[in-house]
Amino acid sequence: MREDFYRTLSSPVWWGALVLAALLPLVLSSYYLHILTLSLVYVALASSWNIVGGMAGQISLAHSLFIGIGAMLSSALLLKFGVNMWLGMLISAALSGLLGATIAWIDFRFQLGHLSFVLITLAFAEMGAIIVEGWDFLGGASGLLLPRDTGNFRLFQFGGGAGSFWVMLTLAAACVLVNVAILNAPLGYYLRTIRDNEKAAQAIGVDVLKYKITAMVISAVLASVVGTAYVRYLTFADPYLLVSPVITIEIVLFATVGGLGRAYGPALGALLLVPLGEILRGKLGSTLPGLHYFIYGVVVITVTLATPRGLLSLFERLWRGWRRPAA
Amino acid sequence: MSELYQALAQGLLIGSTYGLLALGMGLVYGVSGVVNFSHGDFISLGMFMCLALYSAFSLDPYVSVLITVPAMTAIGAVVYIFLIRPMVGHQFLMVVQLTLGLSLVLQNGILMIFGGQPARTPSVVESKLFILGDVVLQVPHVIAFVVSFLLAGGLYVMLRSTDFGRSIRAVHQNAHAAALMGINVGRVQVLTFALGIGILALAAALLLPGTPIQPAQGLRYTVITLLVVVLGGMTNFVGIMLGGLIIGIAEAFGTIYLEGVLGLLMPYIIFVAIMLFRPQGLTWKSRQ
Repeated sequence: MREDFYRTLSSPVWWGALVLAALLPLVLSSYYLHILTLSLVYVALASSWNIVGGMAGQISLAHSLFIGIGAMLSSALLLKFGVNMWLGMLISAALSGLLGATIAWIDFRFQLGHLSFVLITLAFAEMGAIIVEGWDFLGGASGLLLPRDTGNFRLFQFGGGAGSFWVMLTLAAACVLVNVAILNAPLGYYLRTIRDNEKAAQAIGVDVLKYKITAMVISAVLASVVGTAYVRYLTFADPYLLVSPVITIEIVLFATVGGLGRAYGPALGALLLVPLGEILRGKLGSTLPGLHYFIYGVVVITVTLATPRGLLSLFERLWRGWRRPAA
Repeated sequence: MSELYQALAQGLLIGSTYGLLALGMGLVYGVSGVVNFSHGDFISLGMFMCLALYSAFSLDPYVSVLITVPAMTAIGAVVYIFLIRPMVGHQFLMVVQLTLGLSLVLQNGILMIFGGQPARTPSVVESKLFILGDVVLQVPHVIAFVVSFLLAGGLYVMLRSTDFGRSIRAVHQNAHAAALMGINVGRVQVLTFALGIGILALAAALLLPGTPIQPAQGLRYTVITLLVVVLGGMTNFVGIMLGGLIIGIAEAFGTIYLEGVLGLLMPYIIFVAIMLFRPQGLTWKSRQ
């Protein structure tokens, strides 16, 4: 089974695409580079969410907590205690992993159903947002302003522009690769068994608790690391963006529009929707604020009704339908 | 001591409206198994309709209800028929995703029309107070309390002793058997959803006086409603009204007795605790 993973790792298409993407800063204007960087942030986030939400079928709305810890805690540690942001990133990731494990344990211990899990994670997310907005150490309602990005790699600075783009590209590629790896490893099979029938999985000897915790921890750590990199790119740690449940909802929508539980689905969703939203906002944001979210909503509804398994499977069907007459 | 009574009274009054918001969601869940994540945005929609009617014709929110309730009921029916019905029977997540999309559409549609500034809709009773011993109450809250309970009572009677109510309960208990008994299940589901949204129009008018509104508020109302519905055991009528009162009182006590953040967290903490230790909700009947 792992052969698929190694095939991806050694596939010239993969590396070729990555190299081509890495060359993009040479040709793109800074505006489009910014949009692409943002898209990669969401590719990484949606892919990390996919491990829990797609493969294990647990619709966690608590991912804003992990992103928020990665962003706000590492910024606060830097500004208040002068902790190097690399170390801050590791501390935040460890804390996120711990929190993720706790949430997965609560889910298992109290045998929450699907709906209860959605609601409890949403309640946790709201609580996290309220705590951050009310606690000055983490920036309170006004947020935290990071020092200017001078491109000093040892201080977790990447110089904005192309440097930040490469960092995000690395993170996004890593998150997608982790998805491919898990899907082709025993863990991926266990997770899908749990998603399809938890009781049956338990009956045939799958250690449900262990794999739920593993999935949640991997997902939380990835989301937290991306959160730290994202806040460094933004320079301003805005609690209303980074700790709000809305960011999780966006991620969930990207993942489901692209194709839930597939390795490349969430990435596809984010790569299509984020640029669409950003360009609309750039063109019409001043006259019609909210238009890009409105269009997201319409796209989500249309995709849900027309192709409930996501755009990836739609494209695959079209591709096969287009090849068959030729062959 | 008077502080205690004040908190209790305020909590009860606002909690009754929360209960009403949640009844609509509980009814819909009971009949079609749909959890509507755009619930709060429909409340927003009702409130902004009142605002629009005030700006255009200077109608008081309590009068606007005559227009907003039928309008929202119709919107509810259309949304159910064209968007939600095709999804019933699919994975649970699909409906969540669809209603989240709907929530984005509603919230940002409102934003595009009304702008993002907090707005107020004045009412004749807005600043009037109702004094009862040591306790000072705002008249709009008292009206909300009375109307909520009257309406809840009306719904209860409707469910118990009209044919439509009986068909709702029949579909809730066993949709298949209900269909065999000649009940048009599809029609009952549409009407229940429309009714649920129509109730929201009324609840919106009750919550409106004295409350600044903005398009982004929807999600918070959705969360509060979900908390109440789950506390009430999803479909239990009395349980849901009780859940509303508990969340209302938790909120009032939290803001009066506890400092800032902790006070705001109170309803969520209570919710998580109850979810973990009494997942079937507050009512004592076991789910056999």
